[in-house]
Amino acid sequence: MVRDAAGRLGFAPSLVVALSAAAVVALVSITSGAYPLGLTDILSVITGREASDPVASMVLLEVRMPRFLLGFLVGAVLAVSGALLQGLFRNPLADPGLIGVSAGASLAAIAVIVLGNTWLGGWLAMTGEWALPIAAFLGGSGTVLLAWRIANRSGQTAVATLLLAGIAINAVAGAATGLLTFYATDEELRSLTFWTMGSLGHADWNDLLVGAPFMLLALLAAPWLARPLDAFLLGESVVGHLGYRTDTVKRAAILVVGLGVGAAVAVSGLIGFVGLVVPHLVRQLLGASHRVVLPFSALAGGTLLVAADSLARVVVTPAELPIGLMMALIGGPFFLAILLRTKVI
Amino acid sequence: MRSRIFVWLLLAAVFMPSSGAGEPLRVVTADGAITEVVYRLGLESLLVGVDTTSGYPQQTELLPKIGYLRALPFEGVLALKPDLLITSEHAAPEENLDRLARAGVQVEKLHAARTPDAALRRVMSVGALLGEEERAADLAAELRSEINRVQRASLARGSQPTVLFILAAGNHSVMLAGEGTAASALLDSVGAVNAMSGIQGYKPANREAILVSRPDAIVIAESTPGQFEIGSWPEVERLDAWQNGHRLVADGMMLLGFGPRLPDAMAAVNEVLPAPSKVAANGS
Repeated sequence: MVRDAAGRLGFAPSLVVALSAAAVVALVSITSGAYPLGLTDILSVITGREASDPVASMVLLEVRMPRFLLGFLVGAVLAVSGALLQGLFRNPLADPGLIGVSAGASLAAIAVIVLGNTWLGGWLAMTGEWALPIAAFLGGSGTVLLAWRIANRSGQTAVATLLLAGIAINAVAGAATGLLTFYATDEELRSLTFWTMGSLGHADWNDLLVGAPFMLLALLAAPWLARPLDAFLLGESVVGHLGYRTDTVKRAAILVVGLGVGAAVAVSGLIGFVGLVVPHLVRQLLGASHRVVLPFSALAGGTLLVAADSLARVVVTPAELPIGLMMALIGGPFFLAILLRTKVI
Repeated sequence: MRSRIFVWLLLAAVFMPSSGAGEPLRVVTADGAITEVVYRLGLESLLVGVDTTSGYPQQTELLPKIGYLRALPFEGVLALKPDLLITSEHAAPEENLDRLARAGVQVEKLHAARTPDAALRRVMSVGALLGEEERAADLAAELRSEINRVQRASLARGSQPTVLFILAAGNHSVMLAGEGTAASALLDSVGAVNAMSGIQGYKPANREAILVSRPDAIVIAESTPGQFEIGSWPEVERLDAWQNGHRLVADGMMLLGFGPRLPDAMAAVNEVLPAPSKVAANGS
């Protein structure tokens, strides 16, 4: 009952495992950090009583809570975006970072920072506080579209072309980012270092307010794409036969990925490999159906990123490692391992 | 029994704060020049942490490092339980500084110093924050007289030699210092002119521009000692200024920090500037 024919865990037990893991990581992330907080203080704050340490409530409610929530959302969105892209391109190596979506989103955000006072002044005036996430969304969606156009030849996605296009897109976006850095003032450079490394160290409720609506929208829209993407697995012609409109499905997936990755990049900078590692593991454990892959990727992605972030902020205390760096350390070797094992190209 | 009391008294005497006015201040500094001021004031015992730009004097290595001035962690700093964080206007991210202030840490952002006067004002500010105005005034007066001595010497030279200022940051990363930089400000303070006045900020070196610049002197700021290897920069080596010994290779933090080593930096630069006759000859 619990395991299916392939020896995989069933949906309900898996859900329990995933939720427990998320809960454990949440607890670790809330209770650990450079600042020592006793369990009694933490309990006092949670139950609304006076803590013996006066900054306890601030550390918990204004620093660790928003950081945990933002980390979980970003991880979930990146993992789901990875799963959507992999479904769309029918290839396990499609990752928002690898095919250049993250780079496109961050390029747009950096352009807003550097050119906000000059060429893009109108953009700032128009969008106000949302200037960065919306720009990142447009940059992200634009890049998915570009990658799609390049890799798609008469209805078939050429995977090698897609990945090579990703290299080219990353190179061009990197060069454009470098050019903007070259012209950036000292003041602007400060905000730029954050985009290129990826960090949750500054996370506060305001970041959540700005980023969460976009990310939640992407997460809520994703399940709607599960069945059509399952059809995609059988080939693009099947999609039509099953009553879905191919173009609509593609556009919706591109929009959702752009929305999610754009918002994630806007609040946390460049964090790679979540979208690659997580869906891959989920498919290995639970099978390839998107109705399973999407929700579990969201849970596992959030859990993984929060776990990595919890580690990143205690290994070199009192300083912090950038989370982008941590994920690259974990994800790079993982990517190589998938390549060697599956030889998909 | 009596001997035990004696031991307790001895322990109490050892662990009592010397000031007697309660616990000594716990201070974190995030800016190399500010850290240097604290050490020059002899107040390093108050320091419980510094940032990664604080590498001088050597003893800073023994203190916990809170990371880079422009990416200060909130919890990391708070965990050191500081009463006071002294940093510069370059400190970031703003969110974390705000939250530290709200957690009860006195956060003081001092203006970056780009003139000898501002450097002395910063010494006074640091002294005032640490409750040692007099010591700071003494140090400022001492630095002032050294600065005056160098500036008199530079005025006596009666010329404005041009100087090529190079920043050697990584193995192959060499940047030219343009206008609006601390490097340019240092040259100003000894009456020299930046040979790269056409560019803004620090820009990657254009090797041909170096040849064209024909400076009267060359100053190279290293971020770690021995980093700049003249062998890989033939165009610098070929410059008359280099050949004639009008060159200085020195620690970047000393040259550009505008901290208590500013007089040393000014004197070192002034030392390698050529006398007027040479400047005239070079210019013709």
